[in-house]
Amino acid sequence: MSRATLKTLAVFAALSGVVFVIPAFVNDFRAQQFAYVGVYVVALTGLNILTGYTGQISLGHGAFMAIGGYTTSILMIDHGVKDIATIPFAIVVAGVAGVLFGLPAARLSGLYLALATFGVALATPAVIKKFEGFTGGGTGVNLFGTPELTASLTPVEIIGFGLDFNNWLYYLCWTLALVGYVVAWLILRGRTGRAFRAVRDSETAAVSSGISLTRTKVLAFGISAAYAGAAGSLFAITTTFVNPDTYPVTLSIFLLVGIVVAGLGSLKGLIAGAIFIQFMPLWAQNVSKSPGAPAVVYGVALILLILVLPGGASGVIARLQQLVRR
Amino acid sequence: MNRKLIMTCVSLVAALALGVTAAIAGTVRGGADPGVTDNSILLGGTAPLTGPASQYASVARGAEAFFKYLNATKGGVNGRKITYKYSDDAYNPAQSVPVTRQLVEQDKVFAVFNSLGTAHNVAVRPYLNAMKVPQLFVASGATTWGRDYSQYPYTIGFQPSYQAEGWVYGKYLARTAPGAKIAVLFQNDDYGKDLLGGLKRGLQRSKVKVIAAQPYEVTSPDVASQIAKLKASGADTLAIFATPTFAIQAYQFANKLGWKPKHVINNAVASASTTMQIASSAGQNKLVNSTISIQFLKDPTDPKWKNDPAMKLYRSIMKKYAPSANASDPLHVYGMASAWTVSDALKKAGKNLTRESLRKTLDTFTSAGNPFMLPGIAVKTAGKDHYPVEQMLLQKWQNNAWSSFGGLWGYRAS
Repeated sequence: MSRATLKTLAVFAALSGVVFVIPAFVNDFRAQQFAYVGVYVVALTGLNILTGYTGQISLGHGAFMAIGGYTTSILMIDHGVKDIATIPFAIVVAGVAGVLFGLPAARLSGLYLALATFGVALATPAVIKKFEGFTGGGTGVNLFGTPELTASLTPVEIIGFGLDFNNWLYYLCWTLALVGYVVAWLILRGRTGRAFRAVRDSETAAVSSGISLTRTKVLAFGISAAYAGAAGSLFAITTTFVNPDTYPVTLSIFLLVGIVVAGLGSLKGLIAGAIFIQFMPLWAQNVSKSPGAPAVVYGVALILLILVLPGGASGVIARLQQLVRR
Repeated sequence: MNRKLIMTCVSLVAALALGVTAAIAGTVRGGADPGVTDNSILLGGTAPLTGPASQYASVARGAEAFFKYLNATKGGVNGRKITYKYSDDAYNPAQSVPVTRQLVEQDKVFAVFNSLGTAHNVAVRPYLNAMKVPQLFVASGATTWGRDYSQYPYTIGFQPSYQAEGWVYGKYLARTAPGAKIAVLFQNDDYGKDLLGGLKRGLQRSKVKVIAAQPYEVTSPDVASQIAKLKASGADTLAIFATPTFAIQAYQFANKLGWKPKHVINNAVASASTTMQIASSAGQNKLVNSTISIQFLKDPTDPKWKNDPAMKLYRSIMKKYAPSANASDPLHVYGMASAWTVSDALKKAGKNLTRESLRKTLDTFTSAGNPFMLPGIAVKTAGKDHYPVEQMLLQKWQNNAWSSFGGLWGYRAS
């Protein structure tokens, strides 16, 4: 193993350690907020593979999260599948949906693709309501208190340790987030990852090196949507409720904001992006609750961040690494 | 490198050990009811401070202003000052859930009060009932709060249900406009469907018929095609069961098409006087002048209440405790009426206030004389009837303001 790989592994192990012990230092409820951060890390990892590495802008990842969330809730309520067992299904269903969407979308580029994906995000709530008998319509599906939910008010026993609801959610979400992180790293460091970057940097150059544009883009869409599906599924389990408004258009936009804050085309800053999505609206609200103020605070913070740190959190981390090396 | 690696391992092990003990300690629970002391009560709720429905934030602000007034002048309730902590959910149920859990688990509220929205409250209802946290006076007219009371005894609604409201429109048209043909525009969710269902129920065994009904999605840009279809149906009455933006559009498109229905119904959610003034396009749209709606609160713009002591009090409270808010917005009155009722309930639950004693109080509850409601309207629950407000008055839009007419309409859901 090369020294660089060893170093990456050490950093990852340290990160996992930090993630593991956080619930010890924060109160019960914070653990749940950090569980949502884990959910967003999963979604942002997927979106960064598509947008940051392959250069395909998606404004519709909330729709793929909705597919994952509804797969989970329908399997739990109508078919009595345990919540954790539904996650693989959510990944597969959303991944297939991503591939199917990727086939026509691979022909579009740049803003046209962004518009097409935005259309998907806009249409999702209406489509969910249309098939009311299947999805529960606008009323939504409540998962709280169902036997399929692993933990609610009773703690979960894992190898002798009792974990209460919020801590359980935290470990569930972060386990998947870290596994997803590793999988993404493995995909991106190899041949596939090089193909993704080649397509992003120059489609002409990629084609002349023997890369199939359609195949690469569709693959990126599929992988990315599968991640979104996992995130949507975790989101449903954590929220214990799904309805069409739980995956609104703004969610798709927040995800894009998240990867910009995290830094495009790098996995280093994803956690910062996820923290931004989860906590920035809450901080904005703490500044002022008067009409319109939270949105303004959020917007100003975002603009400042992009002006000061155009490379996002990844850029900051990369610069710090350079400083250390000197 | 080696030393660093060892150091990392050691610190990891130490951290892990700490983490495991803390996780076990974290599962211990117990003690008396949170959120209430000898001199304080903490209530919490969710409100759309941002997002597509942020105009409804006034409901929370009105309630907050009333509590501040109550604390300052009467020292709260039974010597306990009330703090009302409301947090933003951006009108997204996926945010209402974590925000409500935060209120219960971190802020340790005594009860959840006045949280706004149907799906938003449905989403947290099983959780709150499992935690035995009262979910008081839900700000939504869905029928489920009263109907499913035996399954969720800690949850109680407030305003007349949408079904009751629709029923009143039906009965009114059946009586006053025999032979009328109604065209309905409704929002394609529980809210619009409850209103439509109630209307049809009120029309039973009468000569009035619903001849066309067009749904719209809350995400759609406008309702132009729906209004065109409704006009083409040949109806002479238009019923608008929509949220404010779409109600305004309905008036404008109907006017543009030169449609002059004899009667227009506009449901309470979209009939705030501020909304109606926009719909009237500075008096150019005559269609608004034939509009009928219902009301159970005093409208701050209604000239009838200009010298009413309660509305004078309302304006002084708004001026002192919510100076930046628009006091003509009737949603503030809604919040105050709700806050008045909850403080009455807290008073009646007695000095030994617990979540259980509050739930029992609300099981058989009569609260008369709410100054912010129209005279004669009672807040009452008993036995199987868990719909607190079931009476309302009809009102007509005249001379740029609402004026109520006729007697009280009562509806029994059970």
